[in-house]
Amino acid sequence: MDIQFVRLEEKLPPREYKSDLEPTWCPGCGDFGVVTALTRAFSEEKLDPSALSLVSGIGCSSRLPLWMNAFGLHSCHGRAVPAAVGVRLAKPEIPTIVTAGDGDLFSIGMEHFPHAARKNFNMVVISMDNRMYALTKNQVSPTSRKGYKGSLTPYGNIDEPFNVLAFSIASGATFVAQTYAGNPKHMTEIIEKAIEHPGFAFVNILSPCPTYNKIDTFKYYKGRLIDINNELGHDPSDKEKANYYAEHALDADNPDAENLEPFHGKVPIGVFYQTRKETFEEKVAKLKEQYKPENPDTVWDEILNKYKP
Amino acid sequence: MAFDLTIKYAGEGGEGVISSGDFTMRAAANLGYDVVTFKSFPAEIKGGYALSQVRISDEKILSQGDGFDILVAFNGEAYEVNKPLLRKGNVLIWDGPEGGDFEPEIEELEEKGVILYAVPMSKLAKEEVGAYITKNVIAMASVFTLFDFPIEVLKEEIVKKFSRKGEDVVNLNFKAIEVAQKYIKENIKKIDPYKLPGPKPKKDVIIVEGNEAIALGAAAAGVKVFAAYPITPATTVGNYLAPIILKTGGYVYQAEDEISSMAIVVGASFAGVKAMTATSGPGVSLMQELIGLASMTETPAVIVDVQRGGPSTGMPTKHDQADLFAAALGGHGDDQRVVIAPTNVEENFHLTIEAFNLAERYQLPVLFLTDASLSLRAEAIPTPNIKEIQSKLIERPTLKKGEVNPEDIQNIYRYQITEDGLSPFLAPGESPKPYTATGLEHGENSYPRTTPKERTEMMDKRFRKIQNIEDENPHLIEWDLGDLQEGEKADIAIITWGLTASIAKEAIQRLRKKGIKVAALYPKLVYPVPKKAIEKVASMADIVLVPEANYMGHLAKFIRMFTDVPPSKIVQFNIYRGEPFIPKEIEEKVEELLGKQVQA
Ligand SMILES: Cc1ncc(C[n+]2csc(CCOP(=O)(O)OP(=O)(O)O)c2C)c(N)n1
Ligand code: SF4
Repeated sequence: MDIQFVRLEEKLPPREYKSDLEPTWCPGCGDFGVVTALTRAFSEEKLDPSALSLVSGIGCSSRLPLWMNAFGLHSCHGRAVPAAVGVRLAKPEIPTIVTAGDGDLFSIGMEHFPHAARKNFNMVVISMDNRMYALTKNQVSPTSRKGYKGSLTPYGNIDEPFNVLAFSIASGATFVAQTYAGNPKHMTEIIEKAIEHPGFAFVNILSPCPTYNKIDTFKYYKGRLIDINNELGHDPSDKEKANYYAEHALDADNPDAENLEPFHGKVPIGVFYQTRKETFEEKVAKLKEQYKPENPDTVWDEILNKYKP
Repeated sequence: MAFDLTIKYAGEGGEGVISSGDFTMRAAANLGYDVVTFKSFPAEIKGGYALSQVRISDEKILSQGDGFDILVAFNGEAYEVNKPLLRKGNVLIWDGPEGGDFEPEIEELEEKGVILYAVPMSKLAKEEVGAYITKNVIAMASVFTLFDFPIEVLKEEIVKKFSRKGEDVVNLNFKAIEVAQKYIKENIKKIDPYKLPGPKPKKDVIIVEGNEAIALGAAAAGVKVFAAYPITPATTVGNYLAPIILKTGGYVYQAEDEISSMAIVVGASFAGVKAMTATSGPGVSLMQELIGLASMTETPAVIVDVQRGGPSTGMPTKHDQADLFAAALGGHGDDQRVVIAPTNVEENFHLTIEAFNLAERYQLPVLFLTDASLSLRAEAIPTPNIKEIQSKLIERPTLKKGEVNPEDIQNIYRYQITEDGLSPFLAPGESPKPYTATGLEHGENSYPRTTPKERTEMMDKRFRKIQNIEDENPHLIEWDLGDLQEGEKADIAIITWGLTASIAKEAIQRLRKKGIKVAALYPKLVYPVPKKAIEKVASMADIVLVPEANYMGHLAKFIRMFTDVPPSKIVQFNIYRGEPFIPKEIEEKVEELLGKQVQA
């Protein structure tokens, strides 16, 4: 069963997807790049601003829907994914994109992500990963590197970072990719692929916070990225290889990363994994078809007759 | 004198106690009688003490009554539990004189005036029918034979229920009926006065339990997304709705928790469809932040809370009315919510529809407070006219593409400030103008705003929506004045809500028969508190009695907090034992209060 998204006949210019609001982000924030990439991808995909929903939680990154010309739901901290599930259940023809932070998705909202992934809801989930909590002024997040100094961990993070890519694959996401806020072209391509992918598409965007995070900066990423598809020839349908690459995605944090296979100190970007499975929406549509009443006019007589004494 | 008979089946869970009650109820309803059942399951999955009580009358039944007339004890535990409740004139049918696991104190009971019939249900089932599982059929058939219920009606019910399982099963049950009939005829001399007077004109009714009524009401209201996480005693709302909603074009979604359920409801409703969840107290606690989001974003949402004994895990299968504070005031900040509460099963159906109407009309979350007892109570209710109901549904004012001139679109705002506070709704895929709903304080166009002026204007706008909610919904406030005129002097005023209201009603009828003037009010709209009606009814008497099944007196405290009723008049009457009131308690409380007053 094919559920088509609402699309326009003609492309709209990318700026048509911006609202009149100027982002309140700090100058140089990586999240600006995400807005640019999204507007380009929406334009390419001919999405209709009046039939498109962007759902977020709370955080610097989660403000993104406010800067966009589309239906947005800026919900509660951690609840972007289930709020988006609500949109999916209500209107499967409306493309739904979650735009939230690493803290929002993988700390307070952690209980939701793997379920939406394993159920394979047809939506895109973008994590703007600055590897910390920015809105609350610098605390560690689940993706913070070891040793990172947050306001509540002034002695440095004593935990290992959480590997969101490996986790997404394990959760059952059918599209898993990583891209970088400093590379609008790659970001746009990946987002387009994610939108086109029928199923749960997770895109981790490395998006620096120049105000607080002085380690995971644009400078740090410069020259340190490796495109696993183009440079290493990775085929996303190869799950074993996808898992292997994902497992090593955080190796660059390591002091002796240079010597580590397969990335030798580089940070991988690209599509790690992609497979086609029936989406949740397709399965529900089938059920509805299967149980649809023969005669809608008499459906209530049938229902009520069951309760007659 | 009206015919009024209560039969109670009690025994071990899994022995057919509950289905005995169901069969008896269906048979009586088929004969044109009004029926109300009360059931109690053990919290355990199997075993434990279970009861099913059926009240049958030729008049409208208000509550489950004070007790029972006929007790069928399946085992020793059932006998022990109910022995203290046996009164003069009651009939006890017990599993004996041989083959059962107990022996009642025959002499002691007979002295008390209890009539005893020994029917060896276990033995007959095992030896005469050859199948122990027919024990409950023997019990039912004995009841039918002894009290003049037409046995064909029981046979019809058995055919209805078991024909799917094959002729052998039906015949086995028929054999059990014959065995019971024969035993009663040969061994029991009837000395009690109870007797069903014969069939009444058949009414067009459906038999539903409280939670079934909610499911049907939701489907009739057009719910499209139902998201919930299992929790006793609310789970069955979803169980009942799941097969129906596929036919009416929606979906029941089992979420990973209640936070998710509520977020899904907000997301779905934001997208433009009717959405709801059903939970109990612990789930409401988890949902509070997102209920606030629905308030702030003015998103319609229906949250059913089937209350159970709390706090914490409390008593998951037991009756309680202690979630009113949490439902009305459990959010942070000043949020706008509506809380409504049904008093019986019929209202569970109609007020569920009303919950959607209120949510759509005022664009906010509506909490629907029912309870564990009501969830399991079955009633025969008039078959609803769904077409008529659907023609009167209130829908949110979604602005549709093509409905406005392109040049006017820019002047339309999702949170437009209006006199009544209500603004146009915009939905993806339907409306021409996108916006971002946000939990941040915002201006008319939904852009974040924090200036003192805009904050004040928006807060005022949101509260303006429900400023006149009492006047706009007189049908959600039930007056019960008997022969009194509004404002006339009464001996006592009674204000109560939820299941307690239906019980109080029966007590009040009895009090009136004794010449006591009672002015009563049963608000179905409990929050915002219907100040005018409460003040009016309270002004009719010097004592305002507020019976509630909770410790703190939630409604009584709300009356103090939100109305000008003099606090010295308010008398709280609280029970919190996990069972509903019985009418007699309220009757006696009133007599006690009025007696005291006369002496003073
Ligand atoms: C229930 C709740 N708890 C805490 C907060 C405070 N809070 C707001 S944003 C945030 C962290 C955001 O981190 P992330 O999602 O990584 O976004 P970023 O700001 O880094 O883009 C926290 C803890 C909140 N808004 N709600
Ligand atoms: S604090 Fe960091 S994440 Fe937040 S807007 Fe500024 S740069 Fe961006």
